[in-house]
Amino acid sequence: MSRVVGIDLGTTNSLVAYVSENRPVVIRDKNGDALVPSVVSVSADGATLVGHEAMRRLLTEPDRTIYSVKRFMGKGVEDVQDVAGLLPFRISGTPGGVVRLGLGDREFTPPEISALILRELKHRAEEFFAAEGDIDPEVDRAVITVPAYFNDAQRTATRDAGRIAGLEVLRIINEPTAASLAYGLDKRHAGLIAVYDLGGGTFDISILKVEDGIFQVLSTNGDTHLGGDDIDALLTERVLDHLESETSAGRAGFARTHVAIQEIRKAVIQAKWDLSDADETEINVAGYRSRLARDEFEVLIRPFVERTLESCRRALHDADVKPSEIDEVVLVGGSTRIPTVRRLVGELFGRKPHCELNPDEVVALGAALQADILITGNREMLLLDVTPLSLGIETMGGVTSKIILRNSTIPATGSEMFTTAVDNQTAVDIHVVQGERELVEDNRSLARFKLRGIPPMPAGMPRLQVQFQIDANGILSATATELRTNIEQTIEVKPSYGLTDDEVELMLLDSFEHAEADMEARLLIDARNEAESVIAATEKSLRSPEFAEVATHDLSPGEQKKIEQALVGLRHVLSSSDRAAIQQWTEVLNQTTQHLAEVIMNRSVKAALSGKNVDEL
Amino acid sequence: MNTEPLVPTVQICRTCGGGAPVDVHFCPQCTRILTLGRHGDYFAFLGVPRKLNLDLADLEQRFRTMSRQFHPDYFHNASLAERRASLERSSYLNDAYRTLKHPIDRIEYLLSLEGADRQSARGASGGQEVPASLLEEVFALNEELDEVRDLKSRGAPEQDWKSRLERAREPIDAKQAQHEAELRELSTQWDALADDAAASERRAVIEALRGRMLERNYISNLLAGIEKEMAQGL
Repeated sequence: MSRVVGIDLGTTNSLVAYVSENRPVVIRDKNGDALVPSVVSVSADGATLVGHEAMRRLLTEPDRTIYSVKRFMGKGVEDVQDVAGLLPFRISGTPGGVVRLGLGDREFTPPEISALILRELKHRAEEFFAAEGDIDPEVDRAVITVPAYFNDAQRTATRDAGRIAGLEVLRIINEPTAASLAYGLDKRHAGLIAVYDLGGGTFDISILKVEDGIFQVLSTNGDTHLGGDDIDALLTERVLDHLESETSAGRAGFARTHVAIQEIRKAVIQAKWDLSDADETEINVAGYRSRLARDEFEVLIRPFVERTLESCRRALHDADVKPSEIDEVVLVGGSTRIPTVRRLVGELFGRKPHCELNPDEVVALGAALQADILITGNREMLLLDVTPLSLGIETMGGVTSKIILRNSTIPATGSEMFTTAVDNQTAVDIHVVQGERELVEDNRSLARFKLRGIPPMPAGMPRLQVQFQIDANGILSATATELRTNIEQTIEVKPSYGLTDDEVELMLLDSFEHAEADMEARLLIDARNEAESVIAATEKSLRSPEFAEVATHDLSPGEQKKIEQALVGLRHVLSSSDRAAIQQWTEVLNQTTQHLAEVIMNRSVKAALSGKNVDEL
Repeated sequence: MNTEPLVPTVQICRTCGGGAPVDVHFCPQCTRILTLGRHGDYFAFLGVPRKLNLDLADLEQRFRTMSRQFHPDYFHNASLAERRASLERSSYLNDAYRTLKHPIDRIEYLLSLEGADRQSARGASGGQEVPASLLEEVFALNEELDEVRDLKSRGAPEQDWKSRLERAREPIDAKQAQHEAELRELSTQWDALADDAAASERRAVIEALRGRMLERNYISNLLAGIEKEMAQGL
């Protein structure tokens, strides 16, 4: 039986978890690392790299490497125009259509990039299950999490990403709700819970009522463009400004290259992390050198934190709950490690927030639990989530008429009557939007429907009932009926910033086409990793204190020279893309060092047996 | 104008073809979840009487219990028909609970069931004529708003016009409180009507409720207008 998993597809990092004997467990790589950086890089030969390997290329090939792709999900080219100049990669797309990201000579839509990350996680899980001895370790179904405040287009894009990655997306669930599920498992508490989720790119607050295993979301609020990324960007900009003003003041020139920006970004992220524990840190990068105190950092980020608190207040208001009525506060997302965030959230709710579970892992754990519920039909726990934004349609004068209000428990339905404006009109256009604003242009356009096949009648006679359905994933569908004739109408959906089913199918095929190149890239990485570990082991032996003695007593003449030659040979091919050569040289080095390794091993065994320290021999 | 559909009395199970009463959710023959082709109203669906004073704790308990029965999570491996039925029943349950949970939405819904919703529908209340009982207040308020706008345009201190607005909303707030009390009174009257009460008796209470709701919507709009003026500054 193939496996199901829960996936947290994050802005900065992604991870995968599964349920083993009723407990959710995060799947780690050989090094014990659970997080896969959500970074994708395209190499010169068109192959794709994902995770740590891709992250390293941010510094060397920024124009071929993309991070934080989640911010582009469900977006059009016009949405990202303002940041396009800051991005190292190309941005294109037709107005009203999905944005396209150019890396090297390939172009990708955001769901395709996300699919590459998902495929990496799928692969990781499959390797893990195979190592566990599963007969069928294939992972073909998953629950994927999204920020609670994601709109329909962003949810649909996430579901498309899953499909492109070859996964049946069992359910899209909200990150804070998933986190509450992971927490609720141990505690079995009843009461009101606030989940504060500040991640790399998004912020969510959800107020839940938990009672006999039912996790009912009362309200949710947030910002899909507020997270750790913004703090990084702010600090990066500060350093850049400083360097540029130095330059204009006649000091050594500084050029704002993409490589320089990435180096600075890396340095300020480290500084941000340092300040979670230390009171002060130093930023020393690209000729910039300055101390940053925690107090100063806190003043800088205060406006961001204030924005999250404002969302919290709105969520409380919508749930009709006072801060003091909240029984538990749960912190999720890497950015909640920032002490001032913890303190201010604690102050707002008047209680110390929970952070027992790793804030990076808790969402994936919840997703795994939900996947398990769906597969086993276990009725102990049930998530009842809400739609974060009101759904409406465009009416006369560009005004929004709301059909399903925000914070309605999903699944939910709504319906609206339409008619014709001229005699014998057979089609009606309907524009669906999401958002709270009065005017259509201020809300998010979701889709334009065309109702066709209306029986010819005088104007105003047809009674067209359009039924909107938001399913448990928070995704919209629509059906329409002409009530006088009871004829079901066909609806043509043109998602405003999404992909059509045909496009998703094509991308699925496309990813198969590239699968070979991607597989080669993976094998190359594996070969390099292996070579690096052999090199490291050899160097360790050569540098060990007893090596001089070993060389004179135990090694044959010329043996040391051979080892050194093999080392040089392997180092030489290591940075190339010639996998065969890397593997051959690795083998050569392995063989030439085998004797050395045995000798050292024998010596330490002897030393251990005689109770003496190696140095004393 | 309202084309009254035939009141359904029986629903058909899509799985086994058996018949079932309209207000059951699972087929008595094959036990499968029923599609929502034929159903009663929100009250009947949740199994509560068509009353305006409801026990909210009981209502919530029903909502939870039924959520556990219908939710799509539990029909993931079921047939297409059952999955669809689960989605339909869950949606209807959520819509029903959301509506009946709020006293005002509950009254609106009752009015629509009793065929008295035509002018009280939400959103339609915008450009209505002023209810006679509110003429005096509306007239005074409009004058006050005009003067406030005038003050604003002459750059008067915020404190000045804000306090005028505060004073202007006092009689409206009082009117609203009075209406809420009347609505509660009428709700109790409706609930006290016996099931076999004469149609004219029911009609009278419904009409009175409808009148209060119209006024209530009008007042809400007035208060929203004051809020807007408050928030706008200049």
